[in-house]
Amino acid sequence: MAKIAIDPVTRIEGHLRIEAQTDGGMVTDAWSSSTMFRGMELVLRDRDPRDAWVFAQRI
Amino acid sequence: MRAVEDALGIQIPENARLIRNIMEGIQYIQDHVIHFYHLTALDWVDVVSALSADPAQTAALAQSLSDWPLSSEAYFKGVKDRLTAFAESGQLGILANGYWGHPAYKLPPEANLMATAHYLEALDWQKDVIRIQAIFGAKNPHPQTYLVGGMSCPVDPDSQNAINATQLAEVQRLFAKARDFVERVHIPDLLAVASFYKDWAAIGGGLGNYLVYGDFPMTASQSSDQPGDLFLPRGMILNKDLSTVHPVDQQQIAESVTRSWYEYSDDTIAKHPWDGETSPNYTGPQPPYEWLETEQKYTWIKAPRYQDMPMEVGPLARMLVAYASGHERVQHWVNTALGALDVGPEALFSTLGRVAARGLETAVLAEKVTDWVDELTANMGSGDLRVTNTEKWDPATWPEEAMGWGWTEAPRGALGHWVRIKNGAISNYQCIVPSTWNASPRDAEGNPGAYEAALVDGTPVEDPELPLEILRVIHSFDPCMACAVHVTDPERNEITRIQIV
Repeated sequence: MAKIAIDPVTRIEGHLRIEAQTDGGMVTDAWSSSTMFRGMELVLRDRDPRDAWVFAQRI
Repeated sequence: MRAVEDALGIQIPENARLIRNIMEGIQYIQDHVIHFYHLTALDWVDVVSALSADPAQTAALAQSLSDWPLSSEAYFKGVKDRLTAFAESGQLGILANGYWGHPAYKLPPEANLMATAHYLEALDWQKDVIRIQAIFGAKNPHPQTYLVGGMSCPVDPDSQNAINATQLAEVQRLFAKARDFVERVHIPDLLAVASFYKDWAAIGGGLGNYLVYGDFPMTASQSSDQPGDLFLPRGMILNKDLSTVHPVDQQQIAESVTRSWYEYSDDTIAKHPWDGETSPNYTGPQPPYEWLETEQKYTWIKAPRYQDMPMEVGPLARMLVAYASGHERVQHWVNTALGALDVGPEALFSTLGRVAARGLETAVLAEKVTDWVDELTANMGSGDLRVTNTEKWDPATWPEEAMGWGWTEAPRGALGHWVRIKNGAISNYQCIVPSTWNASPRDAEGNPGAYEAALVDGTPVEDPELPLEILRVIHSFDPCMACAVHVTDPERNEITRIQIV
């Protein structure tokens, strides 16, 4: 029995962490976690909607 | 962009529809090939094993699969010599730090050498073909010529200051180059590699529910509800049942934060994105930490659900919905692959199916994209040079309040934005990106997300210190990039840190 953490599995907009429990050579449970806050929704608030795509494109 | 256009009731001109399809098309093709060779191939291809390959046998293998010209004994000997020189100098560079020699690698040395050679060729190829994005979008990544109402790149066959006949010819040349590599290298490699890993057609399936917003409008879109005829259709497959394609209703989507580092006014109630809240509330352990508190909140990703169901999104979802919808070219490519591997459609619901679907989608798009260039060329030839609808550019033409939603299919899957506009400004904006679906945590009911469900669906881990099999499952969803691994054995209380590709 072992618990495994893979951190980070990075993505374009942040980082991904995988924790997995193994038993008898098989994964028996797993958790997926993004370890960075994106917050694009807060960046866009109160902006001109015609500019939204330029910001959102960076996700 | 589509969310704002939907909110304000803006229809884009035909040329803008075609340019958006062309730019998105080459993005898919480049992304998918990069994913196959550079982000997941090394989970299946052992580069170190390639060093013991026989170049003559490698050439025979390559020539038996394809008439691609770079397949001589001398060519593969050259690649092997370069790799050997790097390895002997201890400078494997981008190929360092793999789990080389892991018993889960099954390819013979010659297949490993062939795939490694194509890994290197694909690096050159991708930088050329993505120039199509720069021709229309001024740069890549993050092209600059999108516009609410259409595109801002002018088209005129006779102007030096617009997308003209010369540039269209260059786009067609690059698309031909893209398709040639996909059909003569990528697909033959995919099928050859897959034939050694057919056991992975029963591993890592997971949820069995697939959500597709659909994209590549073939006719004019009126609104997000009436997107026109979509080349890759909208729909859902539930419980792996290919006999029924279910309709998709954006009102049925809601996000919960029970297990995410956010707080809602009431954490137990899921919220539709129009009413979504983004109030960060980190309650996890202070870094550096060993383990997350997975029984409580454990991620920055919310848990989106469709009628309370977790869904998988991405190329596999798109190919399944198109296949079940009777899409002729998708059926052709999927059936070709199933036939070549001698497996049935049930093999698609797996890690191998996910990798294969991405390649098959690349082939479907590579043969389609040139139609959109032909249509654009014909429009320009007939004098239709409109790329933007500016009727509602001026905020004075907008209602005091408006709300809209826009969907697209990013290469990694269904992508949705929801917007509320008040007095000319954004009052709420919510994005549910493909990885929000796939990397989702548990929801309020404890149902796992797509990665979590796939990992517990028959994924072996032969050696916990070298968890190659977990990477195969996770990479098949295309979250990409390098990883660092920490492994703990509770009995030996031993922690190791391993850098992996």
